[in-house]
Amino acid sequence: MSELTLTRARRIVQGLFLALFLFLFIQTESKGTDELGWPVKLFLDFDPLIFLTTFLSSHRVEGLFWLSLILAGLTVVLGRVFCGWVCPLGTLNNLAGSLRRKRPKPPGPGWFRVKYYILAGLLASSLFGVQLAGVLDPISLTIRSFSLSLYPAASYAITSLFDAIYRLNLPLVTPASEAVYGVLKKTVLPFQQPWFAQGTFIGLLFLGVLALNLVQRRFWCRFLCPLGALLGLLSRHSVLRRSVSEECDACGACAGVCQADAVPAGKDEWRASECLVCNNCDDVCPKNAVSFGLMKGRPRGGLDLARRNVMASVFAGAFAVPLLRISPLARPRMSDAKIIRPPGSLGEAAFLQSCVRCGECMKVCITGGLQPTLLEAGLEGLWTPVLVPRIGYCEFGCTLCGQVCPTGAIRKLPLEAKQQVRLGHAAIDKGRCLPFAHATPCIVCEETCPTPKKAIWLEEVAVKDREGRSIRLQQPHVDLTTCIGCGACEKHCPVVGQPAIAVTSAGESRTEEHQLLLRAPAGTPCA
Amino acid sequence: MKRRDFLKWTAVSSAGLALPCGLPALGRIAQAAQGPDLVVAKGASTPQTVRAALDALGGMKRFVAKGDVVILKPNIGWDRNPQYAATTNPDVVGALSKLCYEAGAKKVRVFDNTVNDARRCYRQSGIADAAAAAGAEMVHMDSRKYRDVRLNGTALKSWPLYGEIFEADKVINVPIAKTHSLSKLTLGMKNWMGVMGGVRFRVHQRLDESLVDLIRVIKPTLTVLDAVRILTANGPTGGDLGDVKRLDTVVAGTDQVAVDAYGATLFGMKGSDLEHVRLAAKAGLGVMDLSKLQIRRIGV
Repeated sequence: MSELTLTRARRIVQGLFLALFLFLFIQTESKGTDELGWPVKLFLDFDPLIFLTTFLSSHRVEGLFWLSLILAGLTVVLGRVFCGWVCPLGTLNNLAGSLRRKRPKPPGPGWFRVKYYILAGLLASSLFGVQLAGVLDPISLTIRSFSLSLYPAASYAITSLFDAIYRLNLPLVTPASEAVYGVLKKTVLPFQQPWFAQGTFIGLLFLGVLALNLVQRRFWCRFLCPLGALLGLLSRHSVLRRSVSEECDACGACAGVCQADAVPAGKDEWRASECLVCNNCDDVCPKNAVSFGLMKGRPRGGLDLARRNVMASVFAGAFAVPLLRISPLARPRMSDAKIIRPPGSLGEAAFLQSCVRCGECMKVCITGGLQPTLLEAGLEGLWTPVLVPRIGYCEFGCTLCGQVCPTGAIRKLPLEAKQQVRLGHAAIDKGRCLPFAHATPCIVCEETCPTPKKAIWLEEVAVKDREGRSIRLQQPHVDLTTCIGCGACEKHCPVVGQPAIAVTSAGESRTEEHQLLLRAPAGTPCA
Repeated sequence: MKRRDFLKWTAVSSAGLALPCGLPALGRIAQAAQGPDLVVAKGASTPQTVRAALDALGGMKRFVAKGDVVILKPNIGWDRNPQYAATTNPDVVGALSKLCYEAGAKKVRVFDNTVNDARRCYRQSGIADAAAAAGAEMVHMDSRKYRDVRLNGTALKSWPLYGEIFEADKVINVPIAKTHSLSKLTLGMKNWMGVMGGVRFRVHQRLDESLVDLIRVIKPTLTVLDAVRILTANGPTGGDLGDVKRLDTVVAGTDQVAVDAYGATLFGMKGSDLEHVRLAAKAGLGVMDLSKLQIRRIGV
């Protein structure tokens, strides 16, 4: 049993890559400086589906995307080794699938083609300018689900447990648990509990993907994954090929262990595009008739995609574009008050064409203020980031969201440039503001305003209370030439619930048409 | 302080220390050896200035005993670098940590309930590095450790305060001197907002009274006001070097009201110009009248 079979080697490699993925995920958090110190978006950089669809929709190529060409090239030579040996979602699917011992029969012989139709639709929509690949891309999907749901939930569970033991204050037990908790806090737990809108929903979707393994092992990878489909297309003529010797007596042992629909038992019908190079068939063969090696020639087993279906998918993908764009949010010059994008974001149209909804920016946001949309930015903007200042404001000295964005939807700006970016403007609700409405002193918005020359200034006035007594106090005003819409005022406003000062996207510097003032203040990048 | 005064004082206090204690006639000299009410030290080297200030107060040993757990409470509320004078000078925190350890402290802990992100505040203020270099523990606030404390004050009846400051053997308040649009200045008393939990921005409705209520229960062993750089406008956050004035000064004393009263003079004000200082003095929580204090000024 100690013999190192290929299957065992694969499992070790899968474990290492999953560990790397989780390590980089946990490092996607500030330690107090404006650098993270690790290439936290590495898996996204290597993802050719994200590269291709973003290029088609936005016609831009981001810095590290040549890495995805390495993966594409590797797939051309070795086949879908990424799916079988590297992909964190694939590994998680393996783990979930192992919960079910009995292997059900495949749902239907042609289901593996579904992912190619999904891919065709995504490519067509991105060609016409709608970027939806991130919704289904396995790396985006996994990082998003971990960032917004699984990790916050795990943090909540662990912290609640240790808090309970802390409150019980048991001799010996509590000091020991506090020591363990301290170590966890320093290593794997987040600095503070993350809270995300839709965390529950996104988590259920991800658990659903994992649960599909109970229907069929690696259901997602076999039938749905668009990245798997792209790599499948690239691997059709891979040089690393499976061969079966004369020893084969068609016992069918390999058919049951195939992680995909590669038809290993069919000898000649073996589909290179579906093979994950998991080597299960090699290891299981009682005659040792199966081997993988470099060889020339075409494999017989083709994809046999139905042209009619491909065309239908392309049309569906293309038609999604006008269907999504008739939302009033996509109307020219439309400005939605609550769509406050992260600092350095492209104009809304270009932003939506680039954002792959990976959730990296929301994971790294130091105050937790970046939240995923559901339909607020239109269906086209599903799960894109918006700043919700009541949850967390944009920290003046932080540029991390721009650093982790894999597609440049949020540009990576030097700190000085980022501090000039206006996310919008704050506005005071005089009906709720304590000094305006209730003759009560409060200067918290002014106090917490981070611009070197404060954008909130105070006017000293004498007001009368109900009894007619004169009270001298200070009333706040927003200076639009200085306000950057960071939301620190809104976050800290002591008027609970609906705040007395709130930021809207009006005046955001990323779009010339969204300016409030006739003469836009200095630092309007679009001007 | 003139050098001659300094030498004279040193000679007198040394003589006082050299004589056997307990003699009634020497009582007054022994009192002088305990140190003046306030020390105002000025010098180009911040660590040396802090050390000189503490020496003039009678040495850190007067305040910290062997085996003590000491808490240093600087103002780290904002995500700013030290040169902006929005946060306590890291050299002051570092020097105090060293002095505590030299006096035999078992542990020195440093924390503040920051307004901006705590990770950034701790690092960007330079205090995390300074504390680490001096061997002090820089800890993040633990939300479980706030507990409701009865204040029985005029504005606050009770409020969640950070438990550690009541559990530690010694507490040293290490504020920085800055402007603030509501309390006019933020000095020592205002710095205690950094141990408040709850919705602490609500206290701004009666800020001056609330600050007085806080010091009814928070009694630091020592207050060391950092005026190495002071922030003269756009406080308490700052961000413009044009608003920063370099004074190279440290004010130390045991009476937190007196330290704040002196701090006001750095901005051309009097203690009585600060409502919270005036109310605190009126409540008998400290002395505001500088003429009633023995103030020792030293140059380093």
